[in-house]
Order: sequence, then structure tokens, then C-alpha cells
Amino acid sequence: MAAWQRPIYWVVLFALGLMVQTALLPEVFPVGYVPSIMLSLVVVLALYETPRGGLALGLVGGALTDLLGGRLIGLNTLTFGVLGYVIASYQPRWRHDQIVLPGVVGALSQLVMGPAQWLLLHVIGYPVAWQMVSAPLPYLVLFSLLFTPAVGAILGLRPESSRSRRGGR
Amino acid sequence: MSDWGQRLRRLLLAAVIIALVVTSMSLTAAPRVRVVRVSNWLASAVSPISFSLSWIGAKVGTVVTSVGQLYTLEKENKALKSQLLQYNAMKLELTEVLDDNGQLRSLLGLKQALGGWTLVSASVISRSPSTWFDTVVVDQGSSAGVEPGQSVIVAQGVVGRVVGVSPSTATVMLILDPKSGVGAVDARSQAAGVLSGNNPVTGDLTFQLFAHRPDVEPGDAVVTSGYSQYYPKGLLVGQVVKVVKTQYGLTETATVVPSVDFNSLDRVIIVIHHPSQTGLPPIFGGGTR
Repeated sequence: MAAWQRPIYWVVLFALGLMVQTALLPEVFPVGYVPSIMLSLVVVLALYETPRGGLALGLVGGALTDLLGGRLIGLNTLTFGVLGYVIASYQPRWRHDQIVLPGVVGALSQLVMGPAQWLLLHVIGYPVAWQMVSAPLPYLVLFSLLFTPAVGAILGLRPESSRSRRGGR
Repeated sequence: MSDWGQRLRRLLLAAVIIALVVTSMSLTAAPRVRVVRVSNWLASAVSPISFSLSWIGAKVGTVVTSVGQLYTLEKENKALKSQLLQYNAMKLELTEVLDDNGQLRSLLGLKQALGGWTLVSASVISRSPSTWFDTVVVDQGSSAGVEPGQSVIVAQGVVGRVVGVSPSTATVMLILDPKSGVGAVDARSQAAGVLSGNNPVTGDLTFQLFAHRPDVEPGDAVVTSGYSQYYPKGLLVGQVVKVVKTQYGLTETATVVPSVDFNSLDRVIIVIHHPSQTGLPPIFGGGTR
């Protein structure tokens, strides 16, 4: 995919993810327990990006989430941007596969993201109950663990080694 | 440029970005009409897809719920049989209450009062993508007469108020939202205070009472006070489950469970216009004792 096409691809993908997250999932999951599809998308895409690309895709995903929410503009932009950058920076050191790595990174990201946003909200003077983070966290982590690899598979993202193996056959 | 200089430049850039984002978050923590309008336009643009997904989700949700319920059905069946006996007894009691209610309604002339209310029915098409605040988008907007500030209700009680509109959609801030702030009174003792969202996960509301020693007890119904510019007087909000003193014992707060089930919020009613100094009839959760 050409470099100029990637941001368009991300925007379309994130828009679809947001629609599923805001319209479809609330019908299945109870209030407060709706999993973040955007987080899984940022994680799985950042695993195949350069640090700059990871930062950019995190910022785009976060900004779209903030804009659709219409409040606390910047919260997801900042946290998703940092998340994309960190994952993309460290991913060359990790052993890539299609299931374990996306699952573990997705689950860990979910584990960190909730408390990080909670802390940030406290810093800006928007205190929210810790229970809002702690109660749904196990469910959201489990969802990310299972859903993030599935997103990667749906998008057809495969590590280089697996691609070359397939090509060699 | 030297390596040190480049690092410093990056650090400064990161600091500026963080400062900008924190300022933006602080400014947009409470709903602002102009900002919410942008999200409304986005929601309008994707509303046909959102509506379809919401419909699919409702069907999927029904199937998922049905499968989940299989395990508890047997247990529930036994409990229901014993409850049925209780309900038969209650039915007789209710018949009497309904008779009384009908008489009271005619006496009070509530039917005439309802004539002055302008209501618009709307469907919920999407929810907020963030867990930190609670808003929903409904499929009626300014073209149906919806405006920011109007209250949103269902038969069980108050849902929230409109905070932003586009021609075809409106964003509703639920009473579960930490910034909701609903002026309310205890229906029994008339003790007044402000209700706000405490925790969307538990769904509880915090009722901060104004009086030093308010007469509020668990089980009391809480209704809107009518003091705020948004909510008409007398709409049912919920029921008190717990009363606690604050840290230094100067004031009391109560925990209120909302009367509305926000997990199954599909259709709502927007109050476009209501005559002042009137409450809604009991069918909409209104009517103080």
C-alpha cells in the first residue's frame, strides 16, 4: 500500500470500528462493559508500523474517537498516540506471530489504558470513581486478549516470516 | 543540529502537545454545545449505518441473552412460581389502587394538563465511544423541534437531557453522567439536593442533599425538583438505597438507584415543551405524593 493511502485506510477502518463500538456492541454488552474495538485496532496496526507510523495511527484513531464522543477532546488522542508509538517502537524486538503477540499486547494495553486515562482525568480535575476502571477491567482484558488477534486475522495482517513460509511452498 | 539539540526540540514539542491536549480536555470536560455539535454532525453522517448496526445488535443481543438465560431458567422457574402466589395477592391490592388512581387523576385534571405537553418519540441509535461519560445519540434532531436543554424521559422515569443537536440526530447526556446534575427532592419529605452520576458501571447516582439533617430514608422515591431549567417538576428519577454522612458529618449524601434500566434503552421521549408548574402524569413516572 502506498504511503499516502495508509491514512485513508486507517480513517475508514477506524470509522467502521467506531460504528461497531457505538451502535452494535452496546446492544450486546451492558453499560460500562462495552469493549474498545479502537484499542484493538490501534494495537494490531501498530505491531506492523514504524514508531512514527504508530504514533500517527494512534493519533488518528484517538482523535476520531474523541470527535465522535464530543467531550474530553484529547484524552484518547493522547493516550492512543502514546500507545501506538510505544508498541511500534518495541515491536521489532518481539517475536511476531498471528495469535499470541497481538493477544498479549492487546490485553496488556487494555490493562494499562484504563488506569492511565483514569489518572489523566484526575490530573485535569475530572475525578471519576476507581470502580469504573476496576470493575470492568478483567472482562475488557479478556475481550482484548481474544479479539485483537481476530482483528489482525480479519485485516489479513501476517508477520514477514509467515508470509515468506507461505510464499516458499 | 547536534543530537542534544534535536532531543531538546523533541522534548519541547512533546511538552507543547501535552499542554495543548490537557487544556483541550479541561475545556471540553463538560458538554459544550459547539463541540457536541461537531460530534452530532459526525453521528448524523453515519446514522444510517449506526441504525442498521444497532438493529442487528439488538437481534444479536436477544439471541445472546436467550442462550445465557438457559442456565438460569430452571432456577428462575421455581422462584417465579412462588412469586406468582404473591402477585395474585398483590393483583387484588393493585385493582383497588388503580381505581383510586383513576379517581385521583380525574379529580386533579391531569388529562387537561397533559394536553399542553409536546413530546417527540425517538430511538437510540448509538452510545458514547468513551466509558468516562454517558451520552447516547437519538434519531430525532432540530428538524423535529429538538433543542439543547430539553429533558428526555421514558415511562419509568428520567433518562437525561439533550446537549447537542443536528437536523436529524440529538446527543442526550444520561443522568448517569458525572456532569449531569439533576435538581431533585425526596418525594416523601421534600428534602432537596442535586443528583449526579457516580458510576456508570454500577449505575448508581449520588444525591447530595442541601439540608444539614435531611429527612431521607432508604426506600424513598426521588423526583425532579423543577428548580433547574432543564427538568420539569415531579419526574421520577429513582429510589434511595443508602444514606451516608460526608467525611466531617456536616452534610449527608444518599445513593439512588435510577428507575430507568439504561441497559435496555431503545426508545425515549423528548419533552419539547411543557407548561410551567406542572408535572407529568404518573404513567411517565411523574407525580409527587
